[in-house]
Amino acid sequence: MAGVFDGLKVVDFTWAAAGPIITKQLADNGATVIKVESRRHPDSIRLGGPFIADKPGINRSGFFADFNSSKLGIALDLARKDAIQIVEPLVRWADIVAESFRPGIMQQWGIGYETLREINPRVVMLSSSLYGADGPWARHPGYGAQGAALSGLHALTGWPDRPPAIPKGAYSDSVSPRFGAAALVAALIHREKTGEGQHIELSQIETTAQLVAPQLLQLQHDGVEAQRAGNRKTDSILHGVYPCSGNERWIAIEIETEPQWRSLLDVLNDSNLSEARRQSIDALDTAVAIATRRRDAFALMSELRTVGVPAGVAFTGSDLLEDPVLRARGHFWPLEHSEMGTLAYNGPAYRFEATPSRLTRPAPLLGEHTDEVLKDVLGFSDDEIARFHASGLLQ
Amino acid sequence: MTAQIGDKPVPACALAGVRVLELSYFAAAVAGRTLSSLGAEVIKIEPPGGELARLRSPCARLEDGSQLSYDWLAFNVGKRSVCIDLDTEQGLAAFSRLTASADIVVSDFQRLSIEESNRLAAIARSANPKMIWTEILPFGRGEPYQSYPATDTILQALGGHLFLNGDIDRPPVRIGVPVALVQGGVEAASAALMAYYHVVRGGPGQRVDISIQECIVWTLLNTTMAWQILGLTEMRGGAVRKERANRFYTRLVWHCLDGYVFFGPVGGGGGAAREKSYAALLKWMREDGFEDEILTRHEWNGDKQFDIPQEDYDAVTAVISRFISSKSTERLMTRAVAERILLAPISAIRDVFENEHFCKRGFYELIDDQTRGLTLAYPARWANLSATPLSPLLPSPSPGQDNDLLLERVETRTA
Repeated sequence: MAGVFDGLKVVDFTWAAAGPIITKQLADNGATVIKVESRRHPDSIRLGGPFIADKPGINRSGFFADFNSSKLGIALDLARKDAIQIVEPLVRWADIVAESFRPGIMQQWGIGYETLREINPRVVMLSSSLYGADGPWARHPGYGAQGAALSGLHALTGWPDRPPAIPKGAYSDSVSPRFGAAALVAALIHREKTGEGQHIELSQIETTAQLVAPQLLQLQHDGVEAQRAGNRKTDSILHGVYPCSGNERWIAIEIETEPQWRSLLDVLNDSNLSEARRQSIDALDTAVAIATRRRDAFALMSELRTVGVPAGVAFTGSDLLEDPVLRARGHFWPLEHSEMGTLAYNGPAYRFEATPSRLTRPAPLLGEHTDEVLKDVLGFSDDEIARFHASGLLQ
Repeated sequence: MTAQIGDKPVPACALAGVRVLELSYFAAAVAGRTLSSLGAEVIKIEPPGGELARLRSPCARLEDGSQLSYDWLAFNVGKRSVCIDLDTEQGLAAFSRLTASADIVVSDFQRLSIEESNRLAAIARSANPKMIWTEILPFGRGEPYQSYPATDTILQALGGHLFLNGDIDRPPVRIGVPVALVQGGVEAASAALMAYYHVVRGGPGQRVDISIQECIVWTLLNTTMAWQILGLTEMRGGAVRKERANRFYTRLVWHCLDGYVFFGPVGGGGGAAREKSYAALLKWMREDGFEDEILTRHEWNGDKQFDIPQEDYDAVTAVISRFISSKSTERLMTRAVAERILLAPISAIRDVFENEHFCKRGFYELIDDQTRGLTLAYPARWANLSATPLSPLLPSPSPGQDNDLLLERVETRTA
């Protein structure tokens, strides 16, 4: 069955997380995505763990692998002037060129949007960066954790009597790809209807700040500035994360209605809860924590679900891999990599009924498909390819 | 390609001419907002009197004494509204007529049960086989999980993110805004457009379903790989935690004179940028007379960073901490930008609102909503498309404000 992007051609200069997660959506849905790196400038997360067998290596990072399924990989030193011999036919071939360098780098290499457009007027170029292409901080390097800090999410996470707790991960790297993919596909739709290409500029912090849009409005209208409040949520009867039996086992429970409250009482079967609710939210939290402490988290979640109470075990990484829901959903894709063996890659969060997504291959070794792409996609002869190799361009 | 707004011709938006119907409580409203900003005509289908989400807490008090949800205000600008009673034959007939002219429907689990969604999807897809029917569900389509109860926090937990946030001596802590619902909404916009792109190229209409749990799994970035490869169960941390798949703790949140900054000076992996950042920090510390042998005892971001003992990480942290606590956030960020030090202030909401970088980039856009007496700056410009800019913002609709207009136009469009 055809994927939604069958036939789409993508040159992928992106690196780290935010950019590659966007191009992964294209690759996992049928597009031909050619990822361009070099030994001098490999994708930086090839250098970040976890490494297979705990041994660092350029082709050994699971962190890198997960974001680069279904892509072809070529090695090309973009910092060299003669790289244009290969970049130009690549761009002429492409429908999309994606990059996530610091603003100004592509122009420095002579392959900014204006140049690409001269080569291929229909091309859609996506430039993703942490701060955006202009403004006082545009050239400042950084990662998604700085993005979470600057967009307000970090300050809203944690306990009011403690410093803000870090939201796990380079959080803005996981927000901007959703927005970026929407903008990119909208531009493709526009191109399909009008023939017009264009350049999309995306800033991680501006996409991530969308998540605090209501709080920004509240500040302006009421003068009330939202604060971190642990797990407190005032419009629910009960909302918290409670201990269960075992080491570091926790269950989140939220009660929004009186029928749910009565169901919770039935399941927990603890006569202290109603009185605690009358006393205070703190007293209720304490009483619920006592009632859950000897329960098995998974069994309790199952009991609560059965009676319509929203409840969820705080899953660990291994819980996710064993979760019956994610398994039934086919979330994880086992893919065999020549150096890393078989690993379960994360697949998309959406399902197309008629055109299913498909992870077709593991992440590429650095330069794994260089000769194949130069020959079969770009039409260079064996002699020309040998000459490029000899000159050191394809490293 | 241009359109006319007032006297000025403006470039058409990327989704000009695309019509979206929205059956929402929260997540689908975010999807609708995303599509609307890209230029789609988004029509909210509300029950008579307006949808419940208009009163989702917390609410703004308006001049006329009524209340309106901040969540709702944030994610419903630029849309139309029709009120239809979907429990009546007449309402279903109106719904069917609207769907015949629509390209995409977005819906969420807090508005429609699975049964309601099945019933309405059958009507819509019968009226319009090219339709993209988009559902945002906690766990996606599939038995038995498609009807499991869930809320935002439950999904932060089941997506694996909750476990990893907060201080180790307290329970895991959520991100304090409904990130699961918003991420699910934006993912739905993106996935609906992928399916619609396929329709534009001659493909079939289809149903697309989104699992919010899977959206949250995608915010972890490397947790499932860390377990598979190293058998490592990552643990949460507050200001101090094990970064990436490290076995040692490093401080990442630092007190400064007037707040906090996020900064990973040592032991984070990530190559040259981290090394240069640390070198720039040392240069600044030396200028200020902060010298200590521990600062250069190891290559803190080099290949051997994984072998450095925890007590040395603690010792270097103590020295760096004394330095950072003597500086203001503004001074730290100014120097950071000048010297490429990888730190950032941990911005409170007011800091985000007043952020000079955002303001200079024209990120905020004012809406003067005269009907409600609200003038508010929205974080509007989330992307810049050179040929098809994002749609200018318009106030969010009152319930059913477009009933007459849209029914009339639908008749015209489908005649």
